[in-house]
Amino acid sequence: MSIDLPKRVSPSAAAWDDLVEGMSKSWMWSAMAMQDIRMRYRGSLLGPFWLTISMVIMIAAMGLIYSRLFNMEINRYLPFLTVGLVICNFVSTVIIEVCQTFLSAQNVITQVRMPFSVHAWRTVYRNLIVLAHNMVIVPLVLIIFRVSVDWTVIVIVPALAVLTINGIWISILLGMISARYRDVPPIVVSLVQVIFFITPIFWPPEALGIWMQALPLNPLFAAVDVVRAPLLGAAPLTYSWTVLLLVTVVGCIGTFALFAKFRSRITYWI
Amino acid sequence: MAFLRLRNLSVEFPVYQGGSQSLKKMLVAATTQGNLARDAMDRINVRALNDVTLDIEDGDRLGLIGANGAGKTTLLRVLAGIYSPSRGELYSSGRVSALLDVSVGLNPEATGRENIILRGMYMNIHPREMRARVDEIAEFTELGPYLDMPTRTYSSGMMIRLGFAVSTCIPPEILLMDEWLSAGDASFLEKAQRRMETFVGSSSILVLASHSTDLLRKWCNRGILLQHGRIAAEGDINDIIEAYAGAVALRA
Repeated sequence: MSIDLPKRVSPSAAAWDDLVEGMSKSWMWSAMAMQDIRMRYRGSLLGPFWLTISMVIMIAAMGLIYSRLFNMEINRYLPFLTVGLVICNFVSTVIIEVCQTFLSAQNVITQVRMPFSVHAWRTVYRNLIVLAHNMVIVPLVLIIFRVSVDWTVIVIVPALAVLTINGIWISILLGMISARYRDVPPIVVSLVQVIFFITPIFWPPEALGIWMQALPLNPLFAAVDVVRAPLLGAAPLTYSWTVLLLVTVVGCIGTFALFAKFRSRITYWI
Repeated sequence: MAFLRLRNLSVEFPVYQGGSQSLKKMLVAATTQGNLARDAMDRINVRALNDVTLDIEDGDRLGLIGANGAGKTTLLRVLAGIYSPSRGELYSSGRVSALLDVSVGLNPEATGRENIILRGMYMNIHPREMRARVDEIAEFTELGPYLDMPTRTYSSGMMIRLGFAVSTCIPPEILLMDEWLSAGDASFLEKAQRRMETFVGSSSILVLASHSTDLLRKWCNRGILLQHGRIAAEGDINDIIEAYAGAVALRA
């Protein structure tokens, strides 16, 4: 019996299809992410606004003490601290949570066929929802402390879009590595902690003197800077965008190569 | 036209344990050539399917028979496109609906009605489309007022009713089912069979793994007997059931 069999697709074409299909399923991952948030805050009256409140308390307490410590006026220090913390909190939580991208979806991955990138979008989108809740503090602080911001603040839109793209490749990359090597998630947590402290969130970049220009070499700083500076009515450091875009391009290409190679193994790893 | 064609297909599971799941140990092993961390590579390969060649065509209602661990569930997962074969090829055409696990996508805290929508989402059906089908699905389950209760209060039989109704709400071209179906009661199985007959006519495929010879006789027309990941026998369902009974008797 002769049957003509359909052609086989190459791994990179399959990986590309996965990404495109995953993107087109926005209704699916956005609903899943909302479901995650609802489950996480089930039974609490304020929902994710609990995080917002705890952040307000942290900012108020730290603002009072650290502004003295660094000898900065509070109406300059507090907006700086607020925006920095909100963005940095988003970036570091994404990096830590994406380690579980595939591991936490184990039940789904081993039972239903769907694009792997759906799980990456779900994790990143969930964190974008939390970011949106924390973001409500920002305009309040800017108004209270009379930070003059003009229309150029609109650049935070492409900046956040670039951060989201970075979230996706990091999610796929760390999701895969963590599925294969189970000791990676705790290693990532420790690393993020170290980077958090060497990034000027609590302390002003100016405190570094001439070394300040080297700060964008730290990608976390570059990520925070492109959003924070415009919101404080300033321009980001010269190399922040360059470093961020470089990281985006290299990250996307590198992750795509690995994703194409190991995509079909993910099910076996988890 | 729906079909599933397997050519010399094998599936090997690397069972990662201990050192092989640790990046640190793998790195140490790479730099010290295995002296320090001898356990880094302790992976075992389990061959769950071995050189399987099989054609499943339109109208086939195929029963999978075999002892525990013979490879039935793995075969279903390969057919569903979940596991990529480690060797050989799978060619398929047709919309696949897989009922492998009743609880996929279900949130035990949500009500039956909410879970109908949720589960639909995992089957790639938009909530908008699903809402239009809720009533029809609710009627099929016969769960009545229970549909407004959280599904954590459901018995396994009730879960099966819900899972089956949702999974078959859009007639699939290829329906894959694991053993859990046999836990349904007689009246449900009767009803499920009638529903199946409406779409498992001439133009679609059913693959069912079960230990219930009764169910297999009723639902299937072809059968394969799996032993240690290989197809030991293939043919009419009644012959295969007898072959399996013979194999069991031989061992006893």
